[in-house]
Amino acid sequence: MSGPRRIAVVGAGLAAVSTCDALRAQGYDGELVLYSAERGLPYDRPPLSKDVLLGKSRRENILLRPEQWYDEQGIELRDGAPVRAIRPHEGGLELADGELAAADRIVLATGGTARPLPVPGGDDPAVHLLRTWEDAERLRERLLPGARVAVIGAGLIGAETAAVAHALGCRVTLIDPLPVPLTAAVGDDIANALHRRHSAEGIGVLTAGVECIERRPGNLGVLLHLTGYGAPVLADTVVVGIGMRPATELAEAAGLHVDNGVVVHPGQRTSHPNVLAVGDVARPEGHKVRHEHWEAAQRDGEAAAHGILGRPLPSFGASWFWSDRHGSRLEAVGTMADAERTVLRGAPGDGAFTVFGLLGDRLVAAAAIDRPRDIKAARRIADRGVAVDAAALSDESADLRTLLKR
Amino acid sequence: MSTTGTGIRVAAVGDIEEGEALKVPAETTGHTDAIAVFHEAGAYYALDDTCTHGQASLADGWIENGEVECPLHSARFCLKSGEPQCMPATLAQRTHRVEVREGEVWLHPGEEADA
Repeated sequence: MSGPRRIAVVGAGLAAVSTCDALRAQGYDGELVLYSAERGLPYDRPPLSKDVLLGKSRRENILLRPEQWYDEQGIELRDGAPVRAIRPHEGGLELADGELAAADRIVLATGGTARPLPVPGGDDPAVHLLRTWEDAERLRERLLPGARVAVIGAGLIGAETAAVAHALGCRVTLIDPLPVPLTAAVGDDIANALHRRHSAEGIGVLTAGVECIERRPGNLGVLLHLTGYGAPVLADTVVVGIGMRPATELAEAAGLHVDNGVVVHPGQRTSHPNVLAVGDVARPEGHKVRHEHWEAAQRDGEAAAHGILGRPLPSFGASWFWSDRHGSRLEAVGTMADAERTVLRGAPGDGAFTVFGLLGDRLVAAAAIDRPRDIKAARRIADRGVAVDAAALSDESADLRTLLKR
Repeated sequence: MSTTGTGIRVAAVGDIEEGEALKVPAETTGHTDAIAVFHEAGAYYALDDTCTHGQASLADGWIENGEVECPLHSARFCLKSGEPQCMPATLAQRTHRVEVREGEVWLHPGEEADA
């Protein structure tokens, strides 16, 4: 039995590159083509809302892989080559310029687009979204000292962007309908501490929805009309960070099962046997939400490669993500909503502290501000299924590594 | 084994706990970067301290199974070879030879470790 010889990866984010990387690492020596709609070498997205906006990182600093890597690995990078259609039943795909390419496996790594603000004026030129290098470049030019910047959405991207804009000397207002975002993911203590930090740093924080954005005459910025607030917020630049829409168009047109993402089964298989989906565009069957985090995209690529080559699928431990704001780092393992009780290590409001989430005597989640070692220990405790007791977790005099050595 | 110079005494055996690392500043070694000296499973290793991916100190990383995991983005490096084991790092850390001599840990900055 022979395996696939022509694999096409559609997309050029972390999940795409991770798929290529894992295919070669697993010994696949057939044709491997990566189709990128954007021009240039594939880059890493997390820095876009951090060092790129701050002007500390340029495109060459955030490449996923150096240029020569694609040659060394025998990966044909087709940049500036958007795919118009996938035709798995015909064994290939069609590029936007009409070129046809053969492929016996197609990996959809199309990611998504930033969700626009669905209100009147939400498409005003002053309103920015942040997803791509070009988005970040455009926004960076607007984050000038003294500029009035309204950030809509206080989740990960919004909070990071607000913190960067504040650091650059902008006058920032952060608007979210939730009084405290992220509670389901990281729990109340951490979410509260994170959100309080914005106002402590001098950012105006409003709990409100946006009804409409009104352009002022004479290029004098825009007015944001908010629900429950009489006075509108004046802004020169608006940044919207309210999540993403998965780019499922190719999958839908090909008749794949799509429901809030391309639905995938173990090994990232879609409803078509020769098509896989990885990263932000994919939603695992049985999960309500897509796993839109950096490490999840990397894991998807590894799983897809194993699946394509008929290898046993790798098993992954608890999920992990991070977010940087105001010089502090949030990290979270698992989902705090999965825990039945929480244990603190360190004191909330004291800068750095950690919250562990327990289900019975098992650690299922952790979230921390500026405590990387607690998080690293938590991942291992969770992944190895070590039974823990609350007192040991909260005892700051004890090294958490000792819990792993029992 | 190379005999270039006597190296720099950075610790006595026992000073660096198992699973811990010592950050030796650039001023001490004359090397371009600080050097992290790791103690893992009874052996000592040394790598450039600053992660090749981000601005983080590997001496603050998680040391286990012959690897150090960067505190910032969880890139892992082989303690012996300095080679990256996973994304986001793509470049190896420089290695430095460490030897234990008469109960003391000696670092040879700029001298590659035996692979």
